[in-house]
Amino acid sequence: MDSQMNELYGNNGPKQVHFSPYAFNGGTVLAVAGEDFAVVASDTRLSEGFSIHSRDTPKTYKLSDKTVLGSCGFHGDVLTLTKVIGARLKMFEHSHNKKMSTSSIAAMLSTMLYYKRFFPYYVYNIIGGIDDEGKGCVYSFDPVGSYEREAYRAGGSASSMLQPLLDNQIGFKNQEGATVVPLSKEKAVALVKDVFISAAERDIYTGDAIIVQVVTKDGVKTEQFPLRKD
Amino acid sequence: MEAGMSCLTNPPPFWKNGPQPGGIYNFPNSSATHSNTSESQRSAYPIVTGTSVLGLKFNGGVVIAADMLGSYGSLARFRNISRLSKINDSTVIGCGGDYADFQFLSSVIEQRVIDEECLNDGFGFTPKSMFSWLTRVLYNRRSKFNPLWNVYVVAGYQDEQPFLGYVDKIGVAYEAPAISSGFGSHIALPILREEMEKNTNMNENEAIALVQRCMKLLYYRDARSLNKYQYAVITKTGAAIHGPVVPETNWEIAHLIQGYE
Amino acid sequence: MFLTRSEYDRGVNTFSPEGRLFQVEYAIEAIKLGSTAIGIQSSEGTVLAVEKRVTSPLIEPSSIEKIMEVDTHIGCAMSGLIADSRTLIDRARVEAQNHWFTYNERMSIESVTQAVSNLALAFGDDDAEPGAMSRPFGVALLFAGIDEKGPQLYHMDPSGTFIQYDAKAIGSGSEGAQQALQEVFHKSITLKEACKSALTILKQVMEEKLNSTNVELATVTPERNFHMFSKEELENVIKDI
Repeated sequence: MDSQMNELYGNNGPKQVHFSPYAFNGGTVLAVAGEDFAVVASDTRLSEGFSIHSRDTPKTYKLSDKTVLGSCGFHGDVLTLTKVIGARLKMFEHSHNKKMSTSSIAAMLSTMLYYKRFFPYYVYNIIGGIDDEGKGCVYSFDPVGSYEREAYRAGGSASSMLQPLLDNQIGFKNQEGATVVPLSKEKAVALVKDVFISAAERDIYTGDAIIVQVVTKDGVKTEQFPLRKD
Repeated sequence: MEAGMSCLTNPPPFWKNGPQPGGIYNFPNSSATHSNTSESQRSAYPIVTGTSVLGLKFNGGVVIAADMLGSYGSLARFRNISRLSKINDSTVIGCGGDYADFQFLSSVIEQRVIDEECLNDGFGFTPKSMFSWLTRVLYNRRSKFNPLWNVYVVAGYQDEQPFLGYVDKIGVAYEAPAISSGFGSHIALPILREEMEKNTNMNENEAIALVQRCMKLLYYRDARSLNKYQYAVITKTGAAIHGPVVPETNWEIAHLIQGYE
Repeated sequence: MFLTRSEYDRGVNTFSPEGRLFQVEYAIEAIKLGSTAIGIQSSEGTVLAVEKRVTSPLIEPSSIEKIMEVDTHIGCAMSGLIADSRTLIDRARVEAQNHWFTYNERMSIESVTQAVSNLALAFGDDDAEPGAMSRPFGVALLFAGIDEKGPQLYHMDPSGTFIQYDAKAIGSGSEGAQQALQEVFHKSITLKEACKSALTILKQVMEEKLNSTNVELATVTPERNFHMFSKEELENVIKDI
């Protein structure tokens, strides 16, 4: 039957459309911890393949006055995950009469990701915020919940371009005779902008604009500035 | 060349992707020897499909448009179906992808609108709630590996602001001032974006004219489109679906396009 | 107390016309048959002390346990039907560990008490949560511990009601003990004083003579977390009273 059809119609017939529950929608997130602050940044482009869906979709999510989450990868999972986190934060606040701390949010996110170990959220998460001691902190995750606390981390489509740059500029890695100086807030923000401009030059999934959220004991301040749109 | 030779021995099909003439009814791609209708397989591919939906915000409202073709593979199977659906006076949705899934979801939405109406409390779907609900439904279906094979464009007017959102079959959702699904995202969307950049404060008539221009362009360029479409305009005074519109076309230069036979 | 029996004292979820749930009230009465337990909160930590009724010389005293560890930072003393407390303590332990697993922090005393009271309230319902019984629990609990708000003491009764106390006594000697606690407690009480006062008051309300085998004493402090006093440590405190 099939061979008959092939003879009749040629072999350029329809191909099986395979259903994939995932898409890669691009985007880059980045977080840097300082002594008493943290910077969380993302670009605002939402892509699929060679198309740009939206030029104004920030991938940073303010979870509390002390915590900001950067989340990118498959946008459907990002939307779902951030919505569930929001609900869990409210439930926690109602049942324990306090805001969830940054370290607790990180621990909870890890369990949430691991509970979907065999149908994962295809999402790269980085949390930046202020810890219980008032110090800046960054937690980075893989999509299935492995996590650690770090000084700085880039995630998402341009992470492999940003990370070595951060290693060099913030970690003073791979330099000879470098003097290690503590990172100021202004230096951190300027550096974050710089590395995103560089990423937008080379990564087609990073561009349009950058959102920078600075977390201090006084709350979260947001600034936005344009990147190349092509 | 090879295609030309085989033309002599094997005539090209009258249409592709459809049932074999005179054969038993089989959906394309399904094995003829066994039919697998288990749940995980049910919506593994679309059958009768609609092509692009366009959406554009303007100062004081939104316009969306979709043509009236239901394709069966490459066969222009249904030529007078509506892919726009008015939910209420502030919300219209447009649908691309599998038409049966759209009809199914339309009936669900219709029932919910009736249930909501029966409460008579003045509440109902808003563009934002419709958008959020659709996102959850489509994401949940994809998570069960039984997707509704559609793209939805939600257009509406809420809180003195136009609303325009996109949701696809796996739950990717976003809002944007200009949206197009499918083939239109390659052909029409760059034009919509360019015109919006040139004219940042477009009025209703300009927006409708732009969308109409894009619909005609899509008819010229998209093989699975039709020169018969509907468009809907949603402003604070209400929502209305217009059409069918059958635009004038001009194929005078078509004979100049050669070399692809 | 309830001299006239009525049809309303049978069903656990039937209110009497005066708006009372007799079975719950009877359960609270059951606590008053239990051995006395005392909890005191001080700025340095919390103290729990209970009497053990060693009714026969053939009883092995260490097999009577009325103070239990819930988590490293929470202890629990009880009075009433001790068998009923097993499921409650088990729930408290599970909740505390779940909280630590998910949030990587110690669960607050109030939250643990809340979680246990949810179980205590779930009686009578056929398809209630696992662990719930057809009748109210016949035990009262004192949760003592240290969390981010400092030393905390909570009392929970069979109705599921829970209240925070500076010092609280439950069980058969509770009326006299509570009176004594009110006299002896002050905001700047030290942990050592609290331990001593707890045993002094226990001694006053106990029928038997207090010694190191018929009482249990435990503290929760930032330094030692939950700590059960050994026989030697107990004797050290007893010799001062």
